[in-house]
Amino acid sequence: MKLKILPDNITIEVAAGMNLLDALSQVQIALDNSCGGEGICGQCRVQIREGGIEAEQGPRQSNEEYEQGWRQACLATLSADVAIFIPEDSRLEREVIYQRIAPSGQYLTDAQIARLNPGWQFDPPLKKYFVELPIPTLKDNISDLDRLLRELRKHHGLRKVSVDFPILPNLPELLRQDHFRVTATVAEVKGEEGSQSPRRRPKLIRVEPGDTRSRHYSFAVDIGTTTISGQILDLNKKKPLATQTQYNAQVRHGADVISRIVYAGSRPDGLATLQRLVVETINHVLAEAVKKSKIQLDNISHLSAAGNTTMTHLLLGLNPRWLRMQPYTPAMNQAPPVRAKDLGIKVGPWAHLYTFPSVASYVGGDIVAGVLAAGIYKRSPLTLYIDIGTNGEIVLGNRDWMLTASCSAGPAFEGGGIKHGMHAGPGAIERFTLDRRTGEARVATIGHHPALGLCGSGMINTAAELLRAGVIDPNGKVNLHCGSPLVREGEDGPEVVIAPAGQTASGQDITLTDLDLDNLLRAKAAMYAGYHTLLQHVGLNFEAVQEVLIAGAFGNYLDIENAITIGLLPDLDRNRFKFIGNGSLLGARLVSLSNALLDDAEHAARLMTNVELSDNPIFMDQYMAALFLPHTDQKLFPGIARRIQENRGESAAPGVHP
Amino acid sequence: MAVEFVKQDYTGKIREVTIGAGDKAVKVGGANSYPFYLFEGALPNPPRIAWEVWDAETDQWPEACKEPFADVLTDPPAWAKKLVEKHGAEMIALKLVSIDPNGKNADAKSAVETVKKVLAAVSVPVLVFGVNSVEKDAEVLRQVAEACEGRNLVLGPVQEQNHKALGAGAIGFKHTVLASTPIDVNLAKQLNTLLGNLGVKEDKLLMDPTTGGLGYGIEYTYSVMERDRMAALVQQDEKMQQPLVCNLAPEVWKTKEAKLSAQDDPKMGEAKTRGITLEAMTATLLLLAGADVLVMRHPEAVAKIKTLIKELSA
Repeated sequence: MKLKILPDNITIEVAAGMNLLDALSQVQIALDNSCGGEGICGQCRVQIREGGIEAEQGPRQSNEEYEQGWRQACLATLSADVAIFIPEDSRLEREVIYQRIAPSGQYLTDAQIARLNPGWQFDPPLKKYFVELPIPTLKDNISDLDRLLRELRKHHGLRKVSVDFPILPNLPELLRQDHFRVTATVAEVKGEEGSQSPRRRPKLIRVEPGDTRSRHYSFAVDIGTTTISGQILDLNKKKPLATQTQYNAQVRHGADVISRIVYAGSRPDGLATLQRLVVETINHVLAEAVKKSKIQLDNISHLSAAGNTTMTHLLLGLNPRWLRMQPYTPAMNQAPPVRAKDLGIKVGPWAHLYTFPSVASYVGGDIVAGVLAAGIYKRSPLTLYIDIGTNGEIVLGNRDWMLTASCSAGPAFEGGGIKHGMHAGPGAIERFTLDRRTGEARVATIGHHPALGLCGSGMINTAAELLRAGVIDPNGKVNLHCGSPLVREGEDGPEVVIAPAGQTASGQDITLTDLDLDNLLRAKAAMYAGYHTLLQHVGLNFEAVQEVLIAGAFGNYLDIENAITIGLLPDLDRNRFKFIGNGSLLGARLVSLSNALLDDAEHAARLMTNVELSDNPIFMDQYMAALFLPHTDQKLFPGIARRIQENRGESAAPGVHP
Repeated sequence: MAVEFVKQDYTGKIREVTIGAGDKAVKVGGANSYPFYLFEGALPNPPRIAWEVWDAETDQWPEACKEPFADVLTDPPAWAKKLVEKHGAEMIALKLVSIDPNGKNADAKSAVETVKKVLAAVSVPVLVFGVNSVEKDAEVLRQVAEACEGRNLVLGPVQEQNHKALGAGAIGFKHTVLASTPIDVNLAKQLNTLLGNLGVKEDKLLMDPTTGGLGYGIEYTYSVMERDRMAALVQQDEKMQQPLVCNLAPEVWKTKEAKLSAQDDPKMGEAKTRGITLEAMTATLLLLAGADVLVMRHPEAVAKIKTLIKELSA
């Protein structure tokens, strides 16, 4: 059953019998309902444009209104396809709903990918060829291998095919198993070192008896410091079959890349242990994804992986020690394809693993994969690519040049270092609103569970709302004199009660403290200072940025308006922002599907120049300037400053108690 | 044909702030060009000097500083009177050293008494300084504010952590706020913004950029003050157009170079001349960086600086 929402023009699939208010909250459309969905306040008005909903007339509704199709969302039950119109004044925060390219858990469609990366073509780097070889005779008794290569040339035009040695030992038996009817898997590989031609050449990597062309899969994996996501791709149908995500087992030896590097060097088996752990996680993710997609592990022909420089080093068993020491030199930026089995990944010996090239010690293959997926290297508009996380990654540029930077935002966006912080899981508070008249707070949690804590996006939404209401000051401190009943002096200093004990899973108040706000302030300041520094490096200002692409799992849930309100994102026309989801995984997926993109990845990596922020005076200065809400320089946030002032109105001069 | 000199295009001006009340009130700020760039703009109020008076611990001062005030060192009102009458002081910087929680930890009541006595002894403007203790300053200076309504004192240092208490006190009892931040343009601007949000009017706000003595990182202060002034005068940054107060005397006179006696290190030369020179050189640098008020200690250093200001603003 379909629910069409106007004027947003979004259509979503909903279950019959669902409450309209709940259905809308699934797509992050929140309506005013100060009565809490009891049908009393009449604020959640929507108008039926097509179809119908079951809804009684609200107590405050006139007959005329009801006849015109106006209904209260909280009283409405979905029973058939319907199109509704939601007026601005029914919407909470009056915000625009931004088109989300990649809602969480969903795959970008081919059309969406084509919009991001124009000219993208399906042409996987590995192909399967079915050949029926003539049975050898005394007149035609060339070797089995030559016979196979001859037929591949004859029927499929494959010339100068090189051969991966491991196929040879079993070749005679394989050919004869199904009467010389075999499927050959051929990879397009780069010429030998020093060869003049950059053209890729075919390499025979696997021979199977019979026709197995329909069973041709690839495994794309994003190796994150915290989580590892893998995706099974059907190389015939060019689409993902299943995605699986799991915590990186290395986490037990350190939460961030620095502590992993330290661990690797702190004991003789440190590096081997970390290598084994990441491979274990990959194997687990792979096994689960294979199970979910109902394929045979044996049919995986190829793997592609994107990770930051440290993660890539650890996966390949390379010593990461010098990554963190000045002058920060990686062992390599681009590793040659490696036999995945040799790393311990449980796939056949034919399957090679492609890893994304890195740019520098702290700008890794994950960001290159993101740039590749987002197609920045192909387009002319100036683009700002942001991957928000513990390590914020930033790319600025277009098809002619790109600057990259990595800034340490700290774990606040992932709920770390926050008193009641948590990962974005069930029970995490995502939204917080403050009724301006009653001063009452309302929260919305993931999955509508009792509140457990605040996730990163929830914290951004909460801080923005508190700032607008004057409950926190622009320096990110709780305003104890604001008159709100939610503020108090807690054991860790001033704090705001976000959810009172009665609404929480633990039965204790969930609060946001001055210290939490301080962590959030630092995290957002590091990100903003990063963008600013890159722009200053090329003498441009924010207005020159035509598109802002937001990547990362976190990015899916980010509320643009609120992120701008606290100064995490620049105050630009909201239409310039787009979400692309997990850019790293998307990049890994795309190279599995397109040969040309493999070359593009190297090209994109070469276009990128890293700007080191750790010793950069511009960055330090910008960081100090960004440690304010939304920013010390309010001219950079004209809309926000005005809105905060308007919102506060008369209550703008609190705390004068001589 | 005459040569046309290129002139800086100024888009802003430093606000005028009146300190003190009555006949002896003093206006500071008002410049519409870089410091002493009289060929480009006007300097309606040349920089002023506020003389230090401490209410305790002057026994730890170097000999050179004790000597001119030996008769009044433990008597703040008499000291202030002497400064005005004998040395022609136009402003007094009263340091409430006694309230330091790590020192004598005197209570607010005794501090208020001291301030009142000093105010009774002189009618020139008085800048009242706490001891950089967020809580204690807030407690004491608020009571000072209340007890001294009508004198338009300068109350400082007002820091981010106590700006609400002190800002509110200053607004309520019509005093001027000295906003103090640790050598950073952005922090200075942030504190001005917060005080503005609180309701502190622009003509009641001075900035203390924090300084070190000569040889103790003063170049850092110099460049930050330079940037403060650029923001105010050519970058339309209205939040930065407040006059600057440099509290240099304690920084200079606490250094080893100012305190060491000639016997301890003969090659450093005579102690008194050395200390005075250090104070005067520090003050010179800060003047050139854009200071509107200098907090100074030694009469000979002050005399040198007065001459310099006169020459530079002629």
